[in-house]
Amino acid sequence: MSTVSENYVPGHAAAAPQAGAVKLTMVLSGAVFALMMAFGLLMRAAQGQWIDLDPALFYQLLTAHGAGMVGTAALSGAAIMWYFCGRHLVLSGGIFWAFLGLFLLGVVLILGAIFIGGYGGAWTFLFPLPALSGGAWEAGAAAAFMLGYTAIGVGFLLYYLELGRRIHARYGSLVRALGWNLILGREDNDPPPPAIVAAAAVTIFNSIGIILGAAVLVASLVHLLVPGFEVDALLAKNLIYFFGHVFINASIYMAVTAVYEILPEYTGKPWKSNRLFAIAWNAVLIFVMAVYWHHLLQDVVMPPWMLVVGQLVSYFSGIPLIAVTAFSTFLYVRGSRMTWDLASSLLVLSVAGWSVGSVPASIDGMISVNKVMHNTMWVPGHFHTYLLLGEVAMAFGFMAWLVRGKTISQMDGLDRAAFVTYLAGAVGFVTVFLFSGAASIPRRWAVHYEEWLSHDRIGTLFGGLVVLGTLVFVLRFAARLGRREG
Amino acid sequence: MRMICLALLAFAEAIALRQAAEASPVQHVLVQMPLLVLAGVLISWDIRGRRVWAVPLLLTALTAFLFWMLPRSVDWALTPAGETAKYLSLPLLLGVPLRLSWPWLAPVLRGFLKANALSMLGVLGFLYTHAPLRICNSYLVSAQQDLGFAFLHLAVVLACIWAVPVLFGHPRWLPSGSAGCSKCGA
Ligand code: HEM
Ligand SMILES: [Cu+2]
Repeated sequence: MSTVSENYVPGHAAAAPQAGAVKLTMVLSGAVFALMMAFGLLMRAAQGQWIDLDPALFYQLLTAHGAGMVGTAALSGAAIMWYFCGRHLVLSGGIFWAFLGLFLLGVVLILGAIFIGGYGGAWTFLFPLPALSGGAWEAGAAAAFMLGYTAIGVGFLLYYLELGRRIHARYGSLVRALGWNLILGREDNDPPPPAIVAAAAVTIFNSIGIILGAAVLVASLVHLLVPGFEVDALLAKNLIYFFGHVFINASIYMAVTAVYEILPEYTGKPWKSNRLFAIAWNAVLIFVMAVYWHHLLQDVVMPPWMLVVGQLVSYFSGIPLIAVTAFSTFLYVRGSRMTWDLASSLLVLSVAGWSVGSVPASIDGMISVNKVMHNTMWVPGHFHTYLLLGEVAMAFGFMAWLVRGKTISQMDGLDRAAFVTYLAGAVGFVTVFLFSGAASIPRRWAVHYEEWLSHDRIGTLFGGLVVLGTLVFVLRFAARLGRREG
Repeated sequence: MRMICLALLAFAEAIALRQAAEASPVQHVLVQMPLLVLAGVLISWDIRGRRVWAVPLLLTALTAFLFWMLPRSVDWALTPAGETAKYLSLPLLLGVPLRLSWPWLAPVLRGFLKANALSMLGVLGFLYTHAPLRICNSYLVSAQQDLGFAFLHLAVVLACIWAVPVLFGHPRWLPSGSAGCSKCGA
């Protein structure tokens, strides 16, 4: 047993405004994560022909899983960042509730569109698929799906406007909050802490993503409802991937604030912004918006220079930040006698998983590799790595920390079992995806050939472990919340 | 007084552009119509609206805005009845209410309206540049595409104007409070 290390003075740790709203959001996120994982397991089992799933239902599940997971990753990331920004800024609770309400409204519309309306055009709603269902769903279902996205987008926009406004009020300008004074070597007697640097960067690029995403959403809606109106398919694809890439990345960039703010309690050393840190975040800010071109490497009509930029920028974008974060984590952890409880283990794991997951991602970002790997299981392989072992681990780590109490103690048997199960399951699950990708098994196929079944079945087994671990994390969190509050 | 003169000037300018508006949709939608709105904003510049009116006024302004955003309204504005309606409603039902309600709007709502304006300009640009049919019967397809690109350019310019103070801090030479310019609340 040890208490929070003495040489670390948690500056404003007592201030946790809107903790109730954040806890509610995390319970909801945990539950949805578990449910969507169950959907994923069903898909994997169906691909392995252990269960019999109508292909139409498979695509509905795929759509729900994609949209639901991306949405929940963003939701949990947003709750985490809100919580920690609340230590440094005064944030309006009303906006958070509006954000959560709009999010849930969006979820209802999306689930209705999928399971009542039969929409199965994937979370990417790529033009013109939603309008060309071949009778599988009505235009109304696709429209409801997009309206659901719109509601969620509006909620996020309010969230970022509030955050941006408060950062601006506190720091005078967003560039100062991005640490430009640190970068330029100017004096700053109130430098932005890491959580604020992250929040400033995410606020900027995700607002841009949402504004552009809203434009393509509404244009697609107009096209659905007034089929006379066409939209430019290539432009739509660009905008959708811009939005999608930025949005899913933002979820990790938001959730990582948990690492910056929580790990110091364990290592005893505060995590401060420095020059390198600020440079890494500014690199993310600039480059995250140019890397989406890696989704279009197969689109021969794209100007080649864009694709080359997409490839190069893939390296410059995430990698400096991951390197800085991973390296600092390593240094902090190594230099201190940490207590490994569930929260600290999951958070350190998340940094490792995020780093490891970026490797196959960059490989696929190479044009020569992409020619082969595009649309194979390699792709779900890499993003499940940095989502399952990155973002989701950050969210679960944050949840474990929220209900930890004042004293830090080593993991008990159940925690340890759940952690190991989750880790083993996730590593195995994504490894199978990567192997399948290397074997050129395509992604997004409801029905698989005989030769692929062993991949699918091993994947299903590992996926089951992930679900088990998740159930323990989420139930444990809910039970402890009830105990502390009830 | 100065503001009223400027308002009349903007209005006169808009009327002077009648011919040009008939010739090109860009002049019509992006020069003449904004001038009319500007006239309304300027004429009510020194009036302080009451807080209770803010929401109804905003709704009035948004309704007028939505109406004039529709391509068929733009067509209609070239008929005598529509033209009169345009000259009256854009200043009085859009410019004036917008000016009177704006200072009372919560900052997040203002930001939302701005962001929404950008998205909508994007949508219009999206549709006008690529529509396979003529959306406005009074104009050529090529003019329609020009209009689409003009919308996109406008979106970029507005985005920069709105983003720069937030990014780099409020320029010193402007009167300012932390909630933006204290006079117009922009
Ligand atoms: C037990 C855990 C999970 C299982 C069993 C699972 C399973 C699957 C399966 C079978 C697919 C379809 C693969 C294909 O293209 O053939 C898929 C796709 C996907 N998964 Fe998961 N997944 C899990 C966790 C997650 C998590 C935690 C996230 C994000 C936070 C996530 C996000 C996605 C996304 C975005 C897609 C792509 C959907 C599309 O292609 O439209 N998954 N998953
Ligand atoms: Cu991407």
